[in-house]
Amino acid sequence: MWRGFSHLLKKDFRMMISGKFFLLALLSLCLYSGYINFVYAKLDQKIFPVCLYDPQGRLPDVSEYVTKLDSREALKAACADQYSVGIDLSHAEPEIYMLSCGMETTDHYRMAWGEAILHGNVDGQAERIGANTREMKNRREITAEFLFFELTAVGFLGLASMLFKEKQMGVIRVHGILPVCRGVFILSKLLLLLCSDLVFTILLTVINLGVSEAVEALVGVLLQAGILSLIMALVGFLCAVRLPDFKQFSLFYLILAVFVTTPVFLAGQTGMKWNWIVYHPMYHLFEAMKGAFFLTPMTKAPYYLACAGTIILLFLLSYQTLNREMAKEG
Amino acid sequence: MERLKYQLKSVRRDKLCILTFFLPVVVGIAIRLLSGVSLQSISENSFGVLENRMDADTVEWLGANGTVTQYESLTELRAAVNDPSTQMIGVLQTGSVIQTFISGDELEMNRVIADTLPQIYKNQVETLSVTKTMIPATSDNDWLKSLLIVMTLVAAMFMGCTFNAMNIIGEKEDGIEFINQVLPMSASSYITQKTLLGFIGGTVSTIITALICVRTDIEHILPFLLIILLSAYISALMGLLIGCFSDGLMSGIAYIKVLMILFQAPPIFFYLTVPDSSIIFKLSYLLPSSATFYGVMDLLNGQTKALCPALAALSTHAVLWSLGYRLLRRRSGQKRNRL
Repeated sequence: MWRGFSHLLKKDFRMMISGKFFLLALLSLCLYSGYINFVYAKLDQKIFPVCLYDPQGRLPDVSEYVTKLDSREALKAACADQYSVGIDLSHAEPEIYMLSCGMETTDHYRMAWGEAILHGNVDGQAERIGANTREMKNRREITAEFLFFELTAVGFLGLASMLFKEKQMGVIRVHGILPVCRGVFILSKLLLLLCSDLVFTILLTVINLGVSEAVEALVGVLLQAGILSLIMALVGFLCAVRLPDFKQFSLFYLILAVFVTTPVFLAGQTGMKWNWIVYHPMYHLFEAMKGAFFLTPMTKAPYYLACAGTIILLFLLSYQTLNREMAKEG
Repeated sequence: MERLKYQLKSVRRDKLCILTFFLPVVVGIAIRLLSGVSLQSISENSFGVLENRMDADTVEWLGANGTVTQYESLTELRAAVNDPSTQMIGVLQTGSVIQTFISGDELEMNRVIADTLPQIYKNQVETLSVTKTMIPATSDNDWLKSLLIVMTLVAAMFMGCTFNAMNIIGEKEDGIEFINQVLPMSASSYITQKTLLGFIGGTVSTIITALICVRTDIEHILPFLLIILLSAYISALMGLLIGCFSDGLMSGIAYIKVLMILFQAPPIFFYLTVPDSSIIFKLSYLLPSSATFYGVMDLLNGQTKALCPALAALSTHAVLWSLGYRLLRRRSGQKRNRL
């Protein structure tokens, strides 16, 4: 049996190479890392800039948030972005000038901010209770998201395209008469995909978090990546065996990518409060992945029990479906 | 007309095309259903306080400056502030002063707000005599909602390519391509029908989506319609090209995906990060979807600044892509004759 298994492994590995699976993974790794390092890690938002028109020099101590302008027109033009706050000191009574941004509370705060600058006292230091800097938080957050997306959507598609190719070549029919256990047919694919996903996870984490941070987070991340990889590979396998052609499969994939992952990203990323999101199974997987990257690993036993149960159930379902397909193929 | 009916009939049977048609409409409905408040609250200041441990006046003052969430214990409050997906500022009160604390990983804006909030709170007691001029907003749309709407509309317009691309690829796979060659049908009428297929699909899907989630002034309807028609036409040409180049369903789907990413991501990136006077921004008009994106965004914000360059760029694209496709068609025709 083990000899058969090693041959199956070799065959699947060759299929993955010829299907350009590794090349695609390498390209996505470069794309994600480039985006994280050159764009996302640097994302920030500055506080409302204050534009000051002060022809008589009445405000001597100008804080770092202030830009001086020469005319009222320049002040109006600078405030047209609905973000900046203008202060006009050309008349006896100071004037705070701004365009509403359409949000009452933000406008109220912008007015208070303008007044504070006029007061000249904007000192202070709030207590910092977290361990991350903004850049490190950005890195951890986006790496978790990209990894989740890669494992759910892209990995799923990779396995399916491989299996469809095998189906077209008549491999499933041939396996029906080979003295190889059907479970091993699924296992060899799962093992290869799991290994390649884990290597991808290690590379993505080390490149984007840095070695020392990556080592701290990697144990938890690998555990979550393994769970996600197994579940998605089994779902991909099940769909690819069950659905008759690639067109129907791509339809299913589109629904998965748009309706399953988008709400999870929105809820996880923006802190939107949706009560129903707890019933979304992918949400818990995403939160566990994010927690692993932020060094707050998921410790709830029911979560791991549910994951293990799902993997076993999916494996049994895949086994049964494969059996049925082989019987159908004769 | 009769022939077009048959083409539409075959598209109607294709589930992928039907899904593509209704996807923007469903997203449009979702955007409309998401109340404006929940989208706006993302970009609002967010404060976390302890329940019953703060004066009602202070809570009211914080509420005027952002959203306030009350927590029962300090541990819960600290956990919420530390949550990486929020930009929450924790506020505690001792006597008449307030103290703030943050996680430290917030955007610079929220860090400055947290640092200076106690001082600003103190300032409200000693008010200066100041004239406050607030020019009301031209539109009440919040930027995130506008961005989502424009993304959906651009996707709807350029998804038109799916209809004719899938139709042509399907015909190729079923061998109808060869039957077409012996049918008494000219090449130009074939191209017209296939272009109309993508054009009608893209236009109708976009118009339904726009009716659901866009509210605009009457004088903006005509330019908006022009943008839709030009974009849908360019997208239909893309569909013809994809159908021409792909040799199977898998590669066709891959081409459509690459095209959608290429047409969606750069305009959003340039719009958010590059100032509109820079050369890079002007170069982005080389992508037809950028012109559509900037034009529709302008119309949604009640402005018309980017409208002329957008329409000019789209018209140029429409002419150039038509000429390019005709040239390609002629060349492949010559090659076939030679064979």
